[in-house]
Amino acid sequence: MNLERLPNEEKLSLCRKYYLGGFALLPFLWLVNVVWFFKEAFVKPPFTEQTQIKTYVKRSGLGLFCWVTILTTWITIYQHFRAQWGEVGDYLSFTIPLGTP
Amino acid sequence: MVIMESALFTRSVMMKLKNGSSRVAGVAVVVPSANPPQGFSPHNKCPNENSGVYSESYGPTLAHCNTTVWNPLGNGLSYEEFDFPIFSLKDDNDTQLIKQCYVDHNRPVNGSDPQYPLCAMQLFSHMSAVTNTATCMRRNTNGFTFSPESICEPLGDHNIWAPAKPLNTTQKGHKAGESMVMATARLDSRSFFSEIGPGAESAASGLITLLAAAHALRNATQEAQLSRTIFYTFFHGETFDYIGSSRMVYDMEKNQFPIDLDNVHSVLEIGQVGLFSSSKVWLHTDPVSRRNGSVEEEVKKLVSNLQTAAKGLNVSVEEPGVTQPLPPSSLQRFLRARPFPGVVIQDYSSSFANMYYQSMFDNADSLKMSYPPNLTPEEQLNYVTDTAKSLAELATMVARALFVQAGGEESQVSAIKADELLVSRMLYSFVIASNNSWIQELVSSESAAQLINETANFYISVERQTSLPTVLVQHLLANLTGSTANVTQEDCKNQRENQDDKESKHLYSYSWVQGAAPPNSTERKGFCVRSTVHGTKALSPAFELEDYNSKDYSTWTESNWKQIKGRIFLVASHDLEMLTLGLGIAVLLTSLLLTYVMSSKADILFSTGREPTSATY
Repeated sequence: MNLERLPNEEKLSLCRKYYLGGFALLPFLWLVNVVWFFKEAFVKPPFTEQTQIKTYVKRSGLGLFCWVTILTTWITIYQHFRAQWGEVGDYLSFTIPLGTP
Repeated sequence: MVIMESALFTRSVMMKLKNGSSRVAGVAVVVPSANPPQGFSPHNKCPNENSGVYSESYGPTLAHCNTTVWNPLGNGLSYEEFDFPIFSLKDDNDTQLIKQCYVDHNRPVNGSDPQYPLCAMQLFSHMSAVTNTATCMRRNTNGFTFSPESICEPLGDHNIWAPAKPLNTTQKGHKAGESMVMATARLDSRSFFSEIGPGAESAASGLITLLAAAHALRNATQEAQLSRTIFYTFFHGETFDYIGSSRMVYDMEKNQFPIDLDNVHSVLEIGQVGLFSSSKVWLHTDPVSRRNGSVEEEVKKLVSNLQTAAKGLNVSVEEPGVTQPLPPSSLQRFLRARPFPGVVIQDYSSSFANMYYQSMFDNADSLKMSYPPNLTPEEQLNYVTDTAKSLAELATMVARALFVQAGGEESQVSAIKADELLVSRMLYSFVIASNNSWIQELVSSESAAQLINETANFYISVERQTSLPTVLVQHLLANLTGSTANVTQEDCKNQRENQDDKESKHLYSYSWVQGAAPPNSTERKGFCVRSTVHGTKALSPAFELEDYNSKDYSTWTESNWKQIKGRIFLVASHDLEMLTLGLGIAVLLTSLLLTYVMSSKADILFSTGREPTSATY
């Protein structure tokens, strides 16, 4: 879909859908939202729906940031301590690399 | 990468390589053709220290080899963890090639660094399992993982046993009115390297003696009505904390075995009996259980039976001091259950006479088996060596003592005599080559595929692989104690005498063996052997109980591994590698640039001279 061909109202409703969809534990929707609508929100000359799009993009960005922080922290902790956790670590894992503790 | 002569393969050198720098990627040990005269044992100084009978609660002063160190040459290398692969290389042409590669390319000349290209070596031996048995067994069963392949498998095989008279084996638990004299030997050994487990003295000497004794007793036990039954048993996996004996005792306690512990009258175990210098054996007993009056009395009887049996034979028997514990032996696992009268026959008094205990050198040479030069394999098979003669003497002694112990008349023992040729053939089959004409006649056609032209590997391995010694002992014991049954191949395979026979399978086991080819024919004429030989699982009870941190039972597992291989090659200098990489990147960039230019100027490059077809739109 090419955003250029879309009327502004539909842009807003699309952005809103992606923003709301992100709350269903789908941070990638927020990522798409931020990337996709960044130009519309911050670069394009002002239009009526832009303020709302801006809000959605900002909030998506914030949500995305939270997710990235949480996931990075968890993955670091997990990779670092999995072997030490022993049994718990194994049960938390989906695949365990062969030949490493 | 280190290539070393086996003289350097010692604990101090290996520990330096292990702890020194992390730059060691692998070690290859060149194995010489002759055994090291100073001895070598990669096993512990105190084998099976924590799984025997002696502990803080049972003879605390005797525990942990306090009174005597059984294996003083043991350097414990087998029980060290190395992060790099260690390979053994035969001293042959390939090894020469590797050495030549080093000399040609890597040896520093006049103190300067060697020039590129350098000779490099790579060893592959990927092990899937890590940490310990509890970890890898958990990961095996972890239902959440993607990979279907298992990570490690428990060590296991079969104990082979045969009562001297038929016994209903389908019915488990206590057998009323039966009293058994257990005659046991161990069936396994190991070494530091995989695929090599010669165990000539550690395992073969004892089990061959017992097989020969069983053969000598075949007629005597059938003719005489004995008050007790001799129960021949071969335990597997004893090297790894008594897998076989602990399992049999466990089964007896749980009524999962045709007899139980109440049926066991006494135990006579044959350990390492290489009989090097003198034909002297030592009768080891357990001082703790001998404090019990009735046990003491029975032990004394058994010892005197052995002493009487030795008279008139070229074997002398002696008892070590009573303050000494039992050496590592299966009897210890029986004593863990309750006091039993038992004797362990060994060729040493307080430390192993075997200088190569569970190493790759525990081979024919260590047993001093020597053949005159220029014998064909067939002639070697039938040549009676001095080792065989002395083992046959010992087997005669054991057989006569067992006969009297089982209630036989002293007057009849002189008829019991072990066959020297048989012992010699068995030695040849276990220690030199199992693929020989004699063994081929005595095994089934399925087992014949397992026969090899080299030393049998006594390593127990994982459960789904039956080791060669198990197969050999099973068939030999059946042939030596059983008889030929005149039945068809089909009935034989169905464990019956004839179509209507439903009883025999409870008493006997039948096996169809290849037999010999009659003259003027290449087709073998098979026959059916009826015997009382059975095999039961030798898998540690820890795996039955799923208690992988067990303190009572063996928990050894073998990691699954990918193909084990190595290679040598030449590596170019760093500069040359960088140049190649740089060139590659340059070519890539040029081609990208070219593509970009061509696609952006496509209209100029391709549209001239011809009207573009897209113009019609």
